[in-house]
Amino acid sequence: MNQPDESLTSFERELTRAMRRVDPPEGFADRVMGRPDAPSVAARSKVMAKVIPMPRRMQAWAGGAVAATLLASMYFGEQTHLRHQRERAQLAQRQFDTAMRITDQTLEHVRLQLQQAGVEVGN
Amino acid sequence: MAIADDEFRGLIEAHQRMVFSVALRLLGDYATAEEVAQDVFLELHRSGERLASEAHVRYWLRRVATHRSIDAIRRRALRPESAAEEWIEEQHAGDDGPGIDTGLQARLEMLLQTLPESMRVPVVLRYQEELLPDEIARLLGQSVASVKSHLHHGLKLLRRKAAITMKEYVRESA
Repeated sequence: MNQPDESLTSFERELTRAMRRVDPPEGFADRVMGRPDAPSVAARSKVMAKVIPMPRRMQAWAGGAVAATLLASMYFGEQTHLRHQRERAQLAQRQFDTAMRITDQTLEHVRLQLQQAGVEVGN
Repeated sequence: MAIADDEFRGLIEAHQRMVFSVALRLLGDYATAEEVAQDVFLELHRSGERLASEAHVRYWLRRVATHRSIDAIRRRALRPESAAEEWIEEQHAGDDGPGIDTGLQARLEMLLQTLPESMRVPVVLRYQEELLPDEIARLLGQSVASVKSHLHHGLKLLRRKAAITMKEYVRESA
């Protein structure tokens, strides 16, 4: 800072007094030092990266592998869903066939009883 | 040469008042001013190898704090007027310097926040940092004539606003 200027008007001197520097909030330096991008914190992150090393080529492959796993999961999930739908349709078809067979047998039994009773039933 | 942790902390403690005050007076907002001030110090660390002397560090910090604050004003379309009253009251609470009218100073600070950015920046650098117009011009990358013009108009506007609002202030106080 320069020395106070004697040529300042009273208004300017008042302004200078009004604009004295102020302290930052308590713990400012600690917060700067604790930021993730602060040098000491970044250095600790690098140390952790060394503890669990992963070669750069492997990192690229890992990304690809994750994407492929997701796609495969989606494909197999869809296939499983279709298989379940097919199985449900087949079961319904079998139940329908059984019901029709029972109905046919019942009707045939009734027709035979009517015939024995001398009642003619037209086709 | 990178700055060691201890040295970096020492630089923060030595200059935090200046960096924070520049950001606060330009932005008028405590939280944003602290964020900008933190960014400035981390930028200092990344540029550490280029800083040769204490004077250079101080000049660098003042320049970067000013430019980052201007960036923040423009990026967030900040309106410092809205936050000014809160921190001014906090700052002046219990501030009973000899012969100093803290109410008047608080008013002046509020009025400062109403100046356009182009005038507020040189006014802050002139009356808070007590830089001369040619030093401000170098820091801002502007011509001395332009800085003098902004200072002149800023001061004139501030004085006119003060003349109006201080009358109101006197009436309120009476």
